[in-house]
Amino acid sequence: MKMILTIAWRNIWRHPGRSGVLIAAIIAGLWAGVVTVGTMNGLLHQRVNYLIESEITHLQVHHPEFLTERRPADTLSSTAALFRFLDEDSRVQAWAPRVLADAMLQSPVKTSGVRVRGLDPQREINTTTFHERVTEGSYLNTEGIRNPVLLGEALLEQHRLRIGNRIVLTFETAEGELTSAAFNIVGQFRSASTEYDETTVLVRASDLARHLSEVPLYHEAGVLLYDIDDAPALAEALNAAFPEIRAQTWTEISPELSTLVQLGGLMLYIVTMIIMLALAFGILNTMLMALFERMREIGMLLSIGMSRVRIFMMIVLEAVLLTLTGAAAGFALALLSIRHFSASGINFEMFAEGTAELGWDHLVFPILSTGEFVSIGLIVIFVTLLASLYPAIKATKTSVIQ
Amino acid sequence: MSIVKTSSLSKIYNPDTVPVHALKDVSVSFEKGEFTTIVGPSGSGKTTLLNMLGGLDKPTSGTVEVDGNNITGMKDSALIDFRLQNIGFVFQHYNLIPVFTALENVSFIMLLRNRSKAEMDERAKALLEAVGLGDRFDARPKQLSGGQQQRVAVARALASGPKFILADEPTANLDSASAMNLLDIMEKMNREQNITFIFSTHDQRVIDRARRVVTMVDGAIHSDERVGEAVNG
Ligand SMILES: Nc1ncnc2c1ncn2[C@@H]1O[C@H](COP(=O)(O)OP(=O)(O)OP(=O)(O)O)[C@@H](O)[C@H]1O
Ligand SMILES: [Mg+2]
Repeated sequence: MKMILTIAWRNIWRHPGRSGVLIAAIIAGLWAGVVTVGTMNGLLHQRVNYLIESEITHLQVHHPEFLTERRPADTLSSTAALFRFLDEDSRVQAWAPRVLADAMLQSPVKTSGVRVRGLDPQREINTTTFHERVTEGSYLNTEGIRNPVLLGEALLEQHRLRIGNRIVLTFETAEGELTSAAFNIVGQFRSASTEYDETTVLVRASDLARHLSEVPLYHEAGVLLYDIDDAPALAEALNAAFPEIRAQTWTEISPELSTLVQLGGLMLYIVTMIIMLALAFGILNTMLMALFERMREIGMLLSIGMSRVRIFMMIVLEAVLLTLTGAAAGFALALLSIRHFSASGINFEMFAEGTAELGWDHLVFPILSTGEFVSIGLIVIFVTLLASLYPAIKATKTSVIQ
Repeated sequence: MSIVKTSSLSKIYNPDTVPVHALKDVSVSFEKGEFTTIVGPSGSGKTTLLNMLGGLDKPTSGTVEVDGNNITGMKDSALIDFRLQNIGFVFQHYNLIPVFTALENVSFIMLLRNRSKAEMDERAKALLEAVGLGDRFDARPKQLSGGQQQRVAVARALASGPKFILADEPTANLDSASAMNLLDIMEKMNREQNITFIFSTHDQRVIDRARRVVTMVDGAIHSDERVGEAVNG
């Protein structure tokens, strides 16, 4: 076996050019593939994490019809018991109640439809990271200013507004009447999504609730868990304990997010397939070429008594060693690149305009799990074995007579 | 008892298209310790006969017996192993594994027979020394002259301890000095270790060194002469 290994290894270097090209191609292919997939993964991960951390949280509670109908009157009931439950459950890290409304925003320039998010600033800071997106001014916890409001930079620009200006929001009350109120701009934010910035304004939950109803009300509670994987269990517990509300995990709240995660898997699959196909053809081609040149030599080996099984192993080993050399270098390079970029991030700043438009961050930290790494490695070996099968079988059919 | 023997051996190439009668009813026997050359004009069937003796090709009819074993009916895989255990080969070219050193080429055949490493190394070195290549253990075939390569091939053929060695025109690619040198070595092996050689050639000076000359014409044995005193009768 060791002898066959030696002969296979040295055979590879009989044509350093030819083998070198294939090895270089394997290195380049694997490196590009792994880095692409890692970047894709990182991008998706970041997107998902960003949305979860900045706003969605792991779990949300609503009136069962609120998400579909968005009626101001579809509020959370038995909030006292519900909030106590959230305070007492050990899986919950933090939670924030929210008052939500659709409104018309009027400025001297124009009118636009916006979504108003009424937040409890202190709880929100404990639960989400959105306050980090405030680029100027302060979050809603400023004292002394009546009805503070935060606008996205894009919306401010559209309305040619700035901090200190006043806007009028008109919305429907819980009783179904229209009401207007003036709000003072105390700050601006820029999220990863321009669309979000153009359509979202943030106010205090207490201010918004006061305008919507005589009694305190909440439409939503966002719940941050210590472990995201506890979300389904906690949702179940909440739904069992409070039949009049509906608790949903982030995958249910935002199915497009889980689709995104699956998309990442699909990307991995497609890129892997393409690389493997190229690998298979490269191996097949190189091994067949090597075989045709070596017909006489193989005939000689058969003549002097090398068994066909050993000839077969020699060819397969040759292909595997060839691939392993390339794959080892390719993986090492990919690993280094991913290590490097997962610390510093890949800067897509030159496309930042476009990426922000789509809701992506411009600094991407590639991610590739050990499992994905190992499975790509195993697939490479498997594909090589498969691709070397035909040349190897052909080699065993070589005739002895030269 | 003969070491290898054919009975009514016939070989027809391309029986269905353009039949070529390469061997016609050849019955010949070779004894242990003989130093035989097979001669004859080009196309007379020398290579075909040697291939049959070595179990490299199947006859159309007739049998080949090696040391009492009929190899004609053997399955391919059994035959490969039989060759490994019983027969040494020296070819005109493509004899050696180009990526192996001289020493590795010789040890290789013993490795195929699963010999122990220590035994193998020692024997391979001794054989290379015997063929005058004691100083070229680590040379690759490319770094050796044609004659040196053929000497490695002889050492390799001997390494597995075969019953006899077949060599099809082993000197055809060599200049006459190298050819004579190779013959010297073969002769010495034959004389000192009683190794049986059967080789073909076109070279009169090589023919002169043989002690038995089998002449083929048109696929049949035309004459079979013993010259000089035969070793071990
Ligand atoms: N594989 C083959 N297919 C068809 N015909 C063949 C084949 N091998 C040999 N022959 C024919 O069989 C006959 C004997 O060939 P062989 O090679 O045995 O001759 P030879 O005596 O070795 O000749 P040379 O001295 O040129 O080597 C020739 O007519 C040759 O053309
Ligand atoms: Mg011939």
